Amino acid sequence: MTAAHVIERTRAYISENFLYMRRDFRLEDTHSLLASGIIDSMGVMEVIAFIESEFGVEIDDEDVTEENLGSIRAISRYVVARSEASTKVA
Amino acid sequence: MCGIAGIARGERRAVDANTLTRMADALRHRGPDGSGIYTGSPVGLAHTRLSIVDVAGGAQPLTNEDGRVIITYNGEVYNHVELRANLEGKGHVFKTRTDTEVLVHAYEQWGEAMLSRLNGQFAFAIYDRRHESLFLARDRFGVRPLYYAERGGDLFFASEMKALFATGEVPAIPDPRSLDELFTFWACRPPRTPFQGILSLEPGCCAVWRGGRLRVSQYYKLQYQDAEMEPDGALDTLDELMRSSVALRMRADVPVGGYLSGGLDSSITSALAAGMSPHDLRTFSVTFADPRFDESEFQQLVARRIGSQHAVQHIGPSDIAEVFPDVIRHSETPLLRTAPAPLFLLSRLTKQNGIKVVLTGEGADELFLGYDVFKETLVRLFCMRQPTSTLRPRLFDRLYPYLATGAKTGDFWRRFFLQAGSPSDPLFSHIPRWLLASRIKDFYSDDMRVALVGADPVAELRQSLPGEFFGWSPVHRAAYLEMTTLLSPYLLSSQGDRMAMAHGVEGRFPYLDHRLFEFAASLPHGTKLSGLKEKAILRRWATSIVPSEVRQRTKQPYRAPDAASFFGANQPEYVREMLDRTTLDRTGFFDSQAVEGLARRCQAGRVAGFAENQALVAILSTQLWYHEFCATPNVAPPTTPQASSVWLREPVELVS
Repeated sequence: MTAAHVIERTRAYISENFLYMRRDFRLEDTHSLLASGIIDSMGVMEVIAFIESEFGVEIDDEDVTEENLGSIRAISRYVVARSEASTKVA
Repeated sequence: MCGIAGIARGERRAVDANTLTRMADALRHRGPDGSGIYTGSPVGLAHTRLSIVDVAGGAQPLTNEDGRVIITYNGEVYNHVELRANLEGKGHVFKTRTDTEVLVHAYEQWGEAMLSRLNGQFAFAIYDRRHESLFLARDRFGVRPLYYAERGGDLFFASEMKALFATGEVPAIPDPRSLDELFTFWACRPPRTPFQGILSLEPGCCAVWRGGRLRVSQYYKLQYQDAEMEPDGALDTLDELMRSSVALRMRADVPVGGYLSGGLDSSITSALAAGMSPHDLRTFSVTFADPRFDESEFQQLVARRIGSQHAVQHIGPSDIAEVFPDVIRHSETPLLRTAPAPLFLLSRLTKQNGIKVVLTGEGADELFLGYDVFKETLVRLFCMRQPTSTLRPRLFDRLYPYLATGAKTGDFWRRFFLQAGSPSDPLFSHIPRWLLASRIKDFYSDDMRVALVGADPVAELRQSLPGEFFGWSPVHRAAYLEMTTLLSPYLLSSQGDRMAMAHGVEGRFPYLDHRLFEFAASLPHGTKLSGLKEKAILRRWATSIVPSEVRQRTKQPYRAPDAASFFGANQPEYVREMLDRTTLDRTGFFDSQAVEGLARRCQAGRVAGFAENQALVAILSTQLWYHEFCATPNVAPPTTPQASSVWLREPVELVS
């Protein structure tokens, strides 16, 4: 799984579900999803559910931080690192 | 409780009886027990009556002895017995037992200064034929509504705006700036209303119309003190005031009941009322099929303990959507929440049970700092004093346990509170709530955005704050904002007066006795909000009054299911129609493509957060509101004036 793939899929998901009412909004990879008002706390739950089902990565409670999930780039970094870790274990 | 309306013509000409009758007809639900009009020149008055005091003798409009002072009045002045004795001592002669007549004589005796002597909830108009002047007034906290419009030199006024539209002379035109305010604060801030050119007389204000000119003035201001110490005997004072306030509000010639939410405030008022009522007290509650909103366990506990005859209005999955168009018709405004709908159904149940007066607990949270926004303000300030602390923000989890969806989201929503607004902003306390509500604006159409260029409701509010506001503590500032932006225009109106009066039920609010407000406002905020324990002094005092299980409960805000109410198997046809692209484009407030996206997510059951729930309710209610009031003229043919139980004609004589 490449970072580019995660970024592309996550951007599409967030645009369709959280930015459908802000079509002019240009979502950058580094935009803070919370500070930009793109997702709220309930939205975080949806994003977690999306990541888990789309990329097969189970997210522990302690991993739910801005550092890991605060932007599209953070999400891609986190997902790629987790899937590489699980590949090594296997 | 009643409905009032009237017209004052700028040029001296008679007010038409048919027009007044149309106005009264539009207010029939507020006063199903009778109606009356006064036709004169240049002033005409209308009234619909819900008879509560002096059932046989209280018809209106009512005059003084010589017919030169005429009143149309909605409300209750609870200290009318004491005022009457005072006025009789000064030589006034009464022909009824009503508080209405007390107002007429009080006006003769004291003029506008009468208002400071009244303890109650009221809106009235007094026509003084001696000076050809009209005196309008509204109670201190805005319990009873009063709207007005000036057009072409004429003044139109009424308890509800639909009576203004019924004249055919006041059009219903949406005001985009008002809507923008509503989508920030949950309601338009008085005097604004959602309609262009229609104003609400602000709470604690009165107005005098004479010679075609209207002069509005404020007779009551909210004041807070930040005392350092709780005064000696505070509990005794609270005890005396609470009992006196409830006793005054039990004055009626019909049985008085109570709404029981299961929380502390209405448990106290119901318990006190049960002890004073000459009948078995009747109590009424809303219960929900959805356990997240349901408080029936505590309602039953209190009802058993105080021995009331208890009745329940159960809210199932389709009930809110079924009555929502009626709710909008009565509230006359777009809404951000569905919470008024269960109260609409509750007042129907109350009326079906033969009760037309109820005590409720409204006002306690504002006076004794019960709402989360007060605690939230303290926690945000606490966290900001140590910005690097990771432990302090965890207090937010204790604040909103009923919103917690697991540890997974905590870090994110804690950050939201900490990033919203600076402590140096006078509106610091409310910025997070208003930011959240303002997410509705993401759905605005391009036309709406153009109409709102330069609009900034929060900046306008900041500009309008009274000078003394800046000297109050952050928590008392928050209390003032709650009283002025939410209590009167939303809680007492859309959830209060309108939902109760839809079925001819009068709500009475013991906590909104001005003596109690002034007592509470004089206490140090730590007496009310002790650490994170809200309404602390009320809990201390209520030890022997309400069960400990209720007294020790953390406040649960009254909420009802929002977006989910309108989707699913039993979706009413109007939802599809109102959210249809063509209908949305014709109305023009919202971007139809964006709303389609929202509806799609609602349909899929994926809308869980505040922002989208509020947006869906706001958009749907705005559509309903527009189609109810603005899309077609609202002028119905009148019933005949002779159908009124009272018709006074100038010079004052009864027309049989």
